[in-house]
Amino acid sequence: MKYAYFPGCSIHTTAQEYGISSKAVSKVLGIELIEIPEWNCCGAMDAVYAYNPLLSISLSARNLALAESMKMDVVTLCSACFFTLSRANKLLHEDSELKGKVDKLLNDSGLQYTGGVKVRHYLDVLLNDVGLENISKNVKVKLDGLKVAPYYGCMLIRPPNIVNFDDPEHPHSMDKIIEAIGGKNVDYIYKTQCCGASLGLTEQEVMMEMTKDLLLEAKKANADCIALPCPLCHLNMDAKQKTIESAFDIKIGMPVVFFTQLMGVAFGLSPKELALNKNCVPTKKLFSQIHA
Amino acid sequence: MAKQEPKIGVYICRCGCDIEGNISATVDVEKVKEAAASINGVKVAEVYEYVCSNPGQQMIRDGIKEQGLNRIVVAACSPRMHLETFKRNVNQEGLNPYLLEIANIREQCSWIHDDKKLATFKAVDLVGRAVERARNLKPLEEKKVKVNRDALVIGGGIAGINASVELADKGYQVYLVEKGPSIGGHMAQLGKTFPTLDCSSCVITPKMVYVAQHPLIKIFSLSEVTKVDGSPGNFKITIKKRPRYVDASKCTACGECSKKCPVTAKSEFEVGLGSRKAIYQPFRQAVPSAYSIDKVNCLYFTKGVCKVCQKFCKANAVDFMQQEETVELNVGAIVVSTGYEVLDPQGVKQYSYGLNPDIVTHLQFERLLVQGLRRPSTGEQPKKIAFILCVGSRMNETAVENDYCEYCCNIGCMNAIKEAYVFQKEVPDAEPWVFYTDIRAHGKGYEEFYARLRNHGVRFIRGRAAEVMPYNGHLRVRAADTLLGMPIEEDFDMVVLSSGLVPSPGTDNVARMIGIHTGSDGFILERHHKLRPVDTQREGVYACGCALGPKDIRETITESMAVASQVATFLGKGEVPVSAEVAMVDEKKCNGCEECLKICPARAVEKIPSTFRTRMEINPMSCIGCGICVPICPTGAIDLNHSSEEQLMAQVRGVEMKEDVSPKIVAFIEKNTAYASADLAGQTRAHYGPNIRIISVPSTGRVGFKHLLQAFVAGADGVVFVEGEDSSFTGEKLREHVTRLKKDLQAVGVESLRLVSTTITIPQYPKLVDTFEVFTNRVSKIGPLSPKVRSEVGEKLKKLEAGESK
Amino acid sequence: MNQQQILPRPKHAITSEMMDKSFLADVIKMRGGQNVLDCIQCGVCAGSCHASWAMDFTPMQIVRMLHLGMKEKVLSSSTIWICASCYTCATRCPRGIDIPLLMSALKNMAIKEKFPAKIPVKPRFHKTFADIVQKYGRIHEPELFLKITNKTDFKGMMQNAKLGWTLLRKGKLKMKAPKVNKKDQWSTLFKNIAKEEGV
Repeated sequence: MKYAYFPGCSIHTTAQEYGISSKAVSKVLGIELIEIPEWNCCGAMDAVYAYNPLLSISLSARNLALAESMKMDVVTLCSACFFTLSRANKLLHEDSELKGKVDKLLNDSGLQYTGGVKVRHYLDVLLNDVGLENISKNVKVKLDGLKVAPYYGCMLIRPPNIVNFDDPEHPHSMDKIIEAIGGKNVDYIYKTQCCGASLGLTEQEVMMEMTKDLLLEAKKANADCIALPCPLCHLNMDAKQKTIESAFDIKIGMPVVFFTQLMGVAFGLSPKELALNKNCVPTKKLFSQIHA
Repeated sequence: MAKQEPKIGVYICRCGCDIEGNISATVDVEKVKEAAASINGVKVAEVYEYVCSNPGQQMIRDGIKEQGLNRIVVAACSPRMHLETFKRNVNQEGLNPYLLEIANIREQCSWIHDDKKLATFKAVDLVGRAVERARNLKPLEEKKVKVNRDALVIGGGIAGINASVELADKGYQVYLVEKGPSIGGHMAQLGKTFPTLDCSSCVITPKMVYVAQHPLIKIFSLSEVTKVDGSPGNFKITIKKRPRYVDASKCTACGECSKKCPVTAKSEFEVGLGSRKAIYQPFRQAVPSAYSIDKVNCLYFTKGVCKVCQKFCKANAVDFMQQEETVELNVGAIVVSTGYEVLDPQGVKQYSYGLNPDIVTHLQFERLLVQGLRRPSTGEQPKKIAFILCVGSRMNETAVENDYCEYCCNIGCMNAIKEAYVFQKEVPDAEPWVFYTDIRAHGKGYEEFYARLRNHGVRFIRGRAAEVMPYNGHLRVRAADTLLGMPIEEDFDMVVLSSGLVPSPGTDNVARMIGIHTGSDGFILERHHKLRPVDTQREGVYACGCALGPKDIRETITESMAVASQVATFLGKGEVPVSAEVAMVDEKKCNGCEECLKICPARAVEKIPSTFRTRMEINPMSCIGCGICVPICPTGAIDLNHSSEEQLMAQVRGVEMKEDVSPKIVAFIEKNTAYASADLAGQTRAHYGPNIRIISVPSTGRVGFKHLLQAFVAGADGVVFVEGEDSSFTGEKLREHVTRLKKDLQAVGVESLRLVSTTITIPQYPKLVDTFEVFTNRVSKIGPLSPKVRSEVGEKLKKLEAGESK
Repeated sequence: MNQQQILPRPKHAITSEMMDKSFLADVIKMRGGQNVLDCIQCGVCAGSCHASWAMDFTPMQIVRMLHLGMKEKVLSSSTIWICASCYTCATRCPRGIDIPLLMSALKNMAIKEKFPAKIPVKPRFHKTFADIVQKYGRIHEPELFLKITNKTDFKGMMQNAKLGWTLLRKGKLKMKAPKVNKKDQWSTLFKNIAKEEGV
């Protein structure tokens, strides 16, 4: 199983755990993620689009053009990149005037995109190409009903006419994977509620109010950890957890891991291989709990 | 009979006095008279102020009597005004009414143009063309056909029940066909009805009993119509009767069998919130009251064991060997009352329907109210209930693809208010909250009911609910109070979803089977939105109730009464007139290719097998006279009365347009909707150029390649087809037709740009005017048809006509 | 009618004079704004928005103001900047209006027309992000954290510095700028785009 891999900016920086653990898990499952050479920023959804819509779409289009020459499906880890590339793909298909404009810009730089690329999220590959049975087969360490709060966030599942992957209101893709590796999903009512995304950088108070509810609810549901598929959500829930604790004078102490890190633990990989030491909220206790 | 030599009389109306009349103000009627008088065959040419008046009519009768006129042309207002009057007038004097032709020189001439010279030229042209057509008119007789005086009603809900009652009371034999084991439909499931708070069962049960006991109503339960043949007034119906496995004549409905039956299944009547046995009665007041066995769950049918019901039945009514029956009936009229179904709100995912037993639809809530309101999850009385309106309704497209309704469900608001009220009556300290987008209280007594309830402590929140989250035994509802611009979040014991109403399953199959249309919303399409709300496109077929669209009980009853009246009008005299303007097949020319059968929108073509070869025959009862079959016939075997090949060609030939207007455009306009739109353009004094010549046709499908060629030979530079949007010659068929014709035109050197088509509704006359103007511009850009091509076209036409006469 | 015959209208009332019709026309032409007149003001968006409590106007009210051509009120609201594009509203909108895309387009309009933003850090954030991406081909977080806050916004600076330090300690902040090869290819592309959009 080979895929044109689009990491996205944060995989090499703020969400290294995600990239490292996903590569490790892919090795176990026989997935080959071939990084698209010379990829650029995906188009950053709203961050770039608000300033220059054409730039945002063209950024996406360049990546799609590079991927097309590889003749493989594009797979992303980051939900925001997944959304941005999918949306650009859709807009280019629907708006022939826009496509014409972008085509000219690409051609002037020696690139070409005919529209043949399919954009997929890593979860999609795991569920539909690898299959739950194969995932279960590779489990070496019993998670023994570890209580996980599956947090999906926004861009992976909404809106269905752009991403078309899982149910936008009651998603189950990550739930299934967690069960397949021996975990237990708690009844997490806020699994699709927005964490605040880029507001974390510009309007921290708003983001904290939104993220605090997500963390407290996971705690109330007795989860041992939160699992998620998005670098920006991870930043808000993990790196900023201490800030939230002090801002509201509450204690949370909830480990926030990428779901691939949990998969890696179940596959018997070491904390180093899964970059578990890079999570800001300590995961040592979580790891030892599993191996106890 | 020797062909009568046509003696034509032309009567031109001023439509007013002197040169102030509606026509005479713009058209020089004296010039028109002169021109008409000079045409070969015209014996009389007169001008009068109001030809439609008594003295005007007398003039015409005198002409027939004294001058021996046998063809009349009236040049006046639109035939949609006074055609019938003029027809009756000439008939009175012994002249066949089909030998009359009207030239529209008002709505489509004097009221459209300002330039007197050009308007007069055009009027001369129009009259000349009318004379040519009149010359070729033939007398026609309207036949009368005997009709069967029985009626079929499909669907046994309140609409079908009431229609049956009304018809039977009028003396008609009614066959009422119901898919389920009992009549009653959804109304039997309701508790109280708004706004009077009548008990629904108390209203419908007596009616059901009346239907059961009426000597003129025969109920076919567990039955479906599988075939509809024949023609209006004489339909041949095939009904499939599913086996009840209980002899209805013996069953006393004592219920012993049900008590003993070991199998439980979900009750359809309780909308899944209750259970029944495999042998069951849907509800106590069922009609027929006989029990029936559900083959899918019964142990005997699935495993070959049990038969306990048979053992305990004292009347010996259980019959496992019962077979499916086929019944054939003859009826004169059909009433479609197939009703509605509640939209499954599982597709509206944010309300979490199906993920928690305390989230129910409004119909399920009705059953809970009737049974004694309890929370499905705990069995306790709910104290706080959220009523969410517009679930799945009023959506025109969503980011999520699932079933939704574009239209308003009509009854959601009132139903929720009523349910809130009954909830309050049943539960002390009840707290109903209604989350609405708009409160639609349109019917009689509705607004007063709403006002009363507002004072009763029902909380109304203006804001479509955003989501329902099941959580720890409660239901968290999120919405925004849009009037204050603030978010609302509250916990409830139950959530009632006022879900959309959709056509009952199989409505489109029934429609297809009968040969009627459904609208884009899936409901049966009425013939005319205002003037014929319970008729369908087929004569003798009517519809009422929610089969036409969601509505309340009062409107349903009204429509069922209207339908009974329509049926009575149709069947009452025992015979119906058959239109004379129908298509006919010349059996000598027919080669049985079936093209006409395939294309006929009214199911009027029948295949007549014979020893030598199959041939086609057109049933005049069913034929709607659209003429689409005429150009499609490869051997030219079909002709249409009163728009025959001769008559149409004469009309097109008469388009001479000698005057200096350019480019010359001929517009073939469908004679009902599109023509009415053109008249409306005149009535509102819109303007388009005098280079447009309108020819009225039964449908633009009537116009074939030959007629196009003739139009170009006669001097046209461009041709427009205008079809009514609601006609049976659909937009899609029109496009196919035009594409074919364009190809054929290109083959003789005529640019495909010179032919365009459009569909139109009556009020869209600005679109008509626009179409004419845009097309005129387009044709003037490519210039008039070159004389060379025109003569080539003439040659092609000659060849075609020669080929046909072989 | 001369001036004396016209009944004067109070300044605080909505009148056709204060409605900017070209604003609505412009919005309808923008991607995301095409079907904005389909809105029946049902309020599902306002009810779904997880950040509406922090906005001065709910998304529904913004659309209402679009209908009435209230350009200044819309472009100077906090709503358009606080929208996180979570798409909960658009998933549920019965008219299929892409509200986040509409908000992006309004942000773009505000930036292009240099409308003073209610939350000044936001337009700065968008410009900074785009500039960095155009410079390196990818985002460079240290530069982003440093440049999005105004030198006078002490609180904001401290917040981002704290985040930077937390990430740096875990080795998740690369001080060195990212390097994408084939720079000529993509930088030409971005230059041409900048020319197209006039930014």
